[in-house]
Amino acid sequence: MTSLSVSTAISSGRVTLVNVRQRSLLTARLRVLWVVAGFVAVAFAALVRIGFIGLFEDAPASRSLSEALLPPRGEITDRNGVPLARAFPAYALWYNPHALDDGGAPLVNSPAQVARELVRIFPDMNVQVLTERLASGRAGYLRRRLLPEQANRVQAIGEIALEIPQETERFYPQGSMAAHVLGYVGADGHGKVGMEEVLDKRLSDPAHRGEPAALAIDMRVQGALEDELQKGMLATNAVGAAGIVLDVDTGEVLALASLPAFDPNKIDEAGAKNMFNRVTNQVYELGSTFKPLSIAAAMDAGVVTDLAKRYPANRPLEIGGFRIRDSHSLGASLNVPETLIHSSNIVTAQIADQLGGKALKRTMADLGMNERPYIELPARGFPIWPKGEWPRLRTMTVSYGHGIAVTPLHLASAYATLVNGGIWRPTTLHKVEPGHAPRGRRVFKASTSARMNQLLRMIVSYGTGRKADAQGFRVGGKTGSAEKPGVGGYRHHSLISTFASAFPMDRPRYVVVAMLDEPQGTAASSYQRTAAWNAAPIVGKVVPRIGPLLGVMPDDSRDIDLSDVKPLVHGGASE
Amino acid sequence: MRPSARMRSIGWAAVLAVCIALFIGLTFQVNSVKSQVRLAERHIVALEREKMMLETEFETRASQQQLANWNTVEFGYRAPRADQFLENERELAGLGTPRAAGAPAPIRVASAEVPEDSGDSFPAMVSPLTGKAFAAEVDDAAEHAPAHSRETLSGRLTRGAARIVLRAETVE
Repeated sequence: MTSLSVSTAISSGRVTLVNVRQRSLLTARLRVLWVVAGFVAVAFAALVRIGFIGLFEDAPASRSLSEALLPPRGEITDRNGVPLARAFPAYALWYNPHALDDGGAPLVNSPAQVARELVRIFPDMNVQVLTERLASGRAGYLRRRLLPEQANRVQAIGEIALEIPQETERFYPQGSMAAHVLGYVGADGHGKVGMEEVLDKRLSDPAHRGEPAALAIDMRVQGALEDELQKGMLATNAVGAAGIVLDVDTGEVLALASLPAFDPNKIDEAGAKNMFNRVTNQVYELGSTFKPLSIAAAMDAGVVTDLAKRYPANRPLEIGGFRIRDSHSLGASLNVPETLIHSSNIVTAQIADQLGGKALKRTMADLGMNERPYIELPARGFPIWPKGEWPRLRTMTVSYGHGIAVTPLHLASAYATLVNGGIWRPTTLHKVEPGHAPRGRRVFKASTSARMNQLLRMIVSYGTGRKADAQGFRVGGKTGSAEKPGVGGYRHHSLISTFASAFPMDRPRYVVVAMLDEPQGTAASSYQRTAAWNAAPIVGKVVPRIGPLLGVMPDDSRDIDLSDVKPLVHGGASE
Repeated sequence: MRPSARMRSIGWAAVLAVCIALFIGLTFQVNSVKSQVRLAERHIVALEREKMMLETEFETRASQQQLANWNTVEFGYRAPRADQFLENERELAGLGTPRAAGAPAPIRVASAEVPEDSGDSFPAMVSPLTGKAFAAEVDDAAEHAPAHSRETLSGRLTRGAARIVLRAETVE
């Protein structure tokens, strides 16, 4: 066609020119058409693509407001709503040498330069170590936690290999406080040790993790208890200490401390060693603190009807080749209040002998001493509980707290039963709404409980518990200093010093138990190892700190009525 | 096709075009509002996180152990003693001493008889906790409490504090 047009153009001058013009116009139009068609095709393709994306592609992940605000793990609070454990998104610093993905060096700048920039943001890091780390080309964490502004500054360095992945941080604002109650969250995202483990399902369930889980713990009480226990432990060089504050009417644990503690924010080897819970997991022979329980059992059974009746106490009790003796001579004879005030093994053993092993065993079983303590925590120790029928000697030793080993929590629960009118209730770490306390079971008669309240108060007023007598708080309680069993018998210089108490005795509301593991005689304890000198003063300092917080105001004008038992005691009669 | 029919079809086409234009405009409008909402939500989330972060930092810095350490080093506060509490008016009165011989006459204080129900006419002290008038709150509590229940001393003292005493009268 082109050759034809050329030939005609040559043959006829003017006509050919018109033809040429028309043809070039046609060509131009045709080309415009092609361009338009190209654009239309592109536009159509784009439309098809948009339609395809809109119809078949997944929508970009958008979370609703409530989802975005839902914490990655539920919060744990104390009974007043103070957060004890919370989770929030945090940033980590991860080194990814393959981020550039071009086969060359992992960093744009030299490792030394990047290291210097990083140290400018994190002054605690070492340039030398960091340079080697970056040069080595190994992927891994450079730092586990970054603050948001630090993350921004790391971003500003402009190295793609420095990644800032978002992670979930479980944080405990109170540090090591109540660590044994709370536990921690392991690397797998599941709770360990304490309530984190118990509530793991609830805390990670999207339906429930929005609202915080309230514990029975009162943070202020816990703080005061730990503070005083720590001081007492350091002052007496003890290897450990344990303490509980228990609501006697509901069984709620207001504070539970096992020292030395660990920091759930930083789990390391030293911390892992202290994860053992002395309050709920370790069983101890708690010694003389059992005497009020035995006397109460005897009173309940009608064996002790006359508090003025005197029992011989001047010579060790020999039974089956075993001698039960007192720490020092307490006089020729003692009545029941004097027995408790001076903590006589000989007289308690005689009363228990009259009561009989069967009745004592039943009372102890009713107090829950034959099973693991009732608490939600996973670590619960099984008591050393003599099985079968208790022979005479066993009955006698159990009456003053030997030959039976329980946790301090067992003891606190038993004391709550003793003072609250005789009702045993399971202890709990969950907050109990008013009026929803469990019914419990009756162990002692109300009259026995009332009498024991008087006797416990007398021990603190006139007896071994005098150092626990916080002014105006009407504290009552019993000391217990038991030798720890070792190879070949009891070790005379390793004691477990316990003070189990309740306050205010005119209407008992809280039980406080303080225990020291192997306290030493130091200047602070007047070179004594027994509970009267180390555990009792701790209670004497804890009670004034927690009393007003718990609604018990100190009052010098009130006390439990001791007028009918006071004359039975030497010190009491003279006052 | 007649001209009127032609006009009608052009009219329909125009209406359709306008409708489509409006629909597209509306869609854009809706989408822009949606993205604004999403932006606001992201802002809310960021602020909530920042709030929680700051709150947690505050809790950490004011943790029980930290406060206890400060107290031992700086303040030395101790638990309140029994004589720092007053149980009732009798104890309060017990703090007073009898007038000594030759002591000046007691100071006259102003007092006004205020009817029980006209407490509203005075400017109400607003409780910072509930935002309600303080006097109203106290009176409410008094109304709901059973008549025989024992009111605490602090309650009784603050109840009186909401009223202003105007008329002068001799105490003796």
